[in-house]
Amino acid sequence: MEVRTFEGGAHIPHYKNYTEDKPIEKMSAPAEVIIPLLQHSGASCKPLVKEGDKVKIGQKIGDSDEFFSAPVHASISGTVKAVEPRTVPTGGKEDCVVIEADDGPQEFEMKQVRDPDSVSVEEYRKCVREGGVAGMGGAGLPTHVQTSPRQPVDTLLLNGAECEPFLTCDHRLMVEKAEELVKGAELMMKSIGASKVLMGIEVNKPDAIEAVSEKIKNRKDMEVIPLEVKYPQGFKSHLIKAATGRDVPRGARSADLGCIVRNVGTTVAAYEATVHDKPLIERIVTVSGPKVPKPGNYIIKIGTPLEHIIEQCGIRDLEGTKVVMGGPMTGLAQSELNVPLVKSTTGVVVLPPEMVREEMTYMNCVRCGKCVEHCPMLLYPNEISICAEAGMHEEALEWDIMDCIECGICAYICPSARPIVHLVQRAKPEVEKLQKR
Amino acid sequence: MTKLTYTPPPHLKAEDSVSKAMLDVIIALLPVTIFAILYYRGSALLTIVVCLIAAALTEVAFRKAFNKKPSLNDFSALLTGLLVALCLPPAVDWWIAALATFIGVGIGKELVGGLGLNRFNPALLGRVSVFLIPSLFYSLRPLFQDAGIYAGGVDAVTQGTPLAMSHQGADMSILQLLAWNDGGALVEVSPLMVIIGGAYLLYRGHISWRIPATMIATVFVLSILFMENPVNQILLGGVMLGAFFMATDWVTSPITDKGKIIFGIVIGVLVIVFRFLTPAVEGVAFAILIMNAFVPLIEKMTKRPSFSEPKATAATAGKGTAAAR
Repeated sequence: MEVRTFEGGAHIPHYKNYTEDKPIEKMSAPAEVIIPLLQHSGASCKPLVKEGDKVKIGQKIGDSDEFFSAPVHASISGTVKAVEPRTVPTGGKEDCVVIEADDGPQEFEMKQVRDPDSVSVEEYRKCVREGGVAGMGGAGLPTHVQTSPRQPVDTLLLNGAECEPFLTCDHRLMVEKAEELVKGAELMMKSIGASKVLMGIEVNKPDAIEAVSEKIKNRKDMEVIPLEVKYPQGFKSHLIKAATGRDVPRGARSADLGCIVRNVGTTVAAYEATVHDKPLIERIVTVSGPKVPKPGNYIIKIGTPLEHIIEQCGIRDLEGTKVVMGGPMTGLAQSELNVPLVKSTTGVVVLPPEMVREEMTYMNCVRCGKCVEHCPMLLYPNEISICAEAGMHEEALEWDIMDCIECGICAYICPSARPIVHLVQRAKPEVEKLQKR
Repeated sequence: MTKLTYTPPPHLKAEDSVSKAMLDVIIALLPVTIFAILYYRGSALLTIVVCLIAAALTEVAFRKAFNKKPSLNDFSALLTGLLVALCLPPAVDWWIAALATFIGVGIGKELVGGLGLNRFNPALLGRVSVFLIPSLFYSLRPLFQDAGIYAGGVDAVTQGTPLAMSHQGADMSILQLLAWNDGGALVEVSPLMVIIGGAYLLYRGHISWRIPATMIATVFVLSILFMENPVNQILLGGVMLGAFFMATDWVTSPITDKGKIIFGIVIGVLVIVFRFLTPAVEGVAFAILIMNAFVPLIEKMTKRPSFSEPKATAATAGKGTAAAR
């Protein structure tokens, strides 16, 4: 088996053993959901409901006229308790629709409303837009934005790399929903006008590779690309480089590369939105951590408060732990437990005190070169971090700070424990101002 | 309410730390250190102990003066002390050893901002300073003679070393070269032990092969051109210690792969220049210190293009396909 990859990167312990064999399971519905009107990059939705309104599961509760926006839907049936700003996983506040459950139906009824083999491209695009489908791999753009590219692309690249430690939600989806994935890929391929589908999967998921390969064995237009287990293999640019060999110059658009990358979960969600008219109201989330009593891959409703998830997984004591939404390399640590799950939340990882990287005093860069050796963008994180720290933005730009994808390898590996990613994030807006001048 | 830790990503941290790495370098120096103590006994032990104590005291004092927390637990001061000791001859006066260490740790490192901010290798800076100071004392001797100050320590660095003997044409077997040499610095007692330490550093991933390999190879090849015995030239003097422990110092060597190769080659060339084209017997320390100054320039020159850097050939090829469509 030919295994492909990219230059640089690091082998980080992947801690996937806690959940990789756990079948997808439904988590009970919470008593209350908090649904942010903005869950991705783009424009915020306007609420379509107000306090006191009765809503039914799947009902559209927020929408926008902007192109870069995806509608949001009620993930439970109940009464709108409030439309107000609430804390979201990014740490900021967003307008949210808060719904209190009633005794109406709390599960979406799945019935086929369209035939996947005969549905038209226009209909598919409309369903993806109306279903509020947005990127589910972490970054998250409204999906319809890229289902109708103005320039033709030849390849649809499905991202099943799942390189973040602990996360196994895409892994389980590929194993258990290979059928829907392949059908969804076909719809997506037609919609973007591509002629082939490549599915990049890291080789630490042999059962996923097997399941998907089995479904596409008679197809000439689809191919599984086994990828080396290396972080950050699942980042878009590195997946493109590894799977197609194409370079990804800065500022390049998908059309320039002839390639559109989609997360496997998004592909299935778009399929369900089309065939079952099911909006994106729930998703598979990996809840994991070395001390989590009931780790697993759960189907959880969008808007479910973190508290409910923690409780359902049997976690009693959170003292000194770190609760991360997303993977531990790029995900965000949460300071409170009433934040909601959003469309792009891949996981909830609870790190026990002994694994928590304290707010530590870090040292000068000793120029050991480990960050340079492993940087997947082939940058010099050492120089960048020194410039960023000292506010030398022009020099930081010369060292290509804007190319940094903030994958976190440098900070992970730094023997001086320098918070390189944090320094970069802080400096980027300043450098951007400098660029515009 | 439970307190959650809220810090920016990434939330995982590798085990690597500066202290662990420094400790590893000290471990790598143990074979040659033990060998030197066994061979020279008390004089070597005294020099080493004096340097370690001087290093610790200097660092604590300087950091106190700068209102910084003591950082002895990162082992970098002790490492510098040990390296200084190994560069000195066993019969050196204890105060010269202490002075060399003081200059290395205090002026070479702490005064310029501490570990990471020093441009020159602290141990070599300390060693070279006491090499130069005696001649300074000599020129100033008329001033001191009346005061009765002893301008000593000269003997320490002018005694016959194996390298000097080799210059004079003395023959030595390879085994003798590898195992023990009388005279010269402590570390010259056994290049083999230094190589074992270097191999450990390579195995642990603390250094790259690029600097030692290119530096040693350059000395070897150029020695042949100068009609000298190349094996003698790489095993005698400070070549092995310089190649594995000094030129590879993280802080004072280039970070780029190509830069490391250039750095190693030029140091090798300079070593040969000092040995064969100047009256100096040894030049490893000077060669490395000179090249330390060029590190920022070398790095700028050898910067690799970013992953996102548009590639000229790829761009034109891309346009070609687009036009064909």
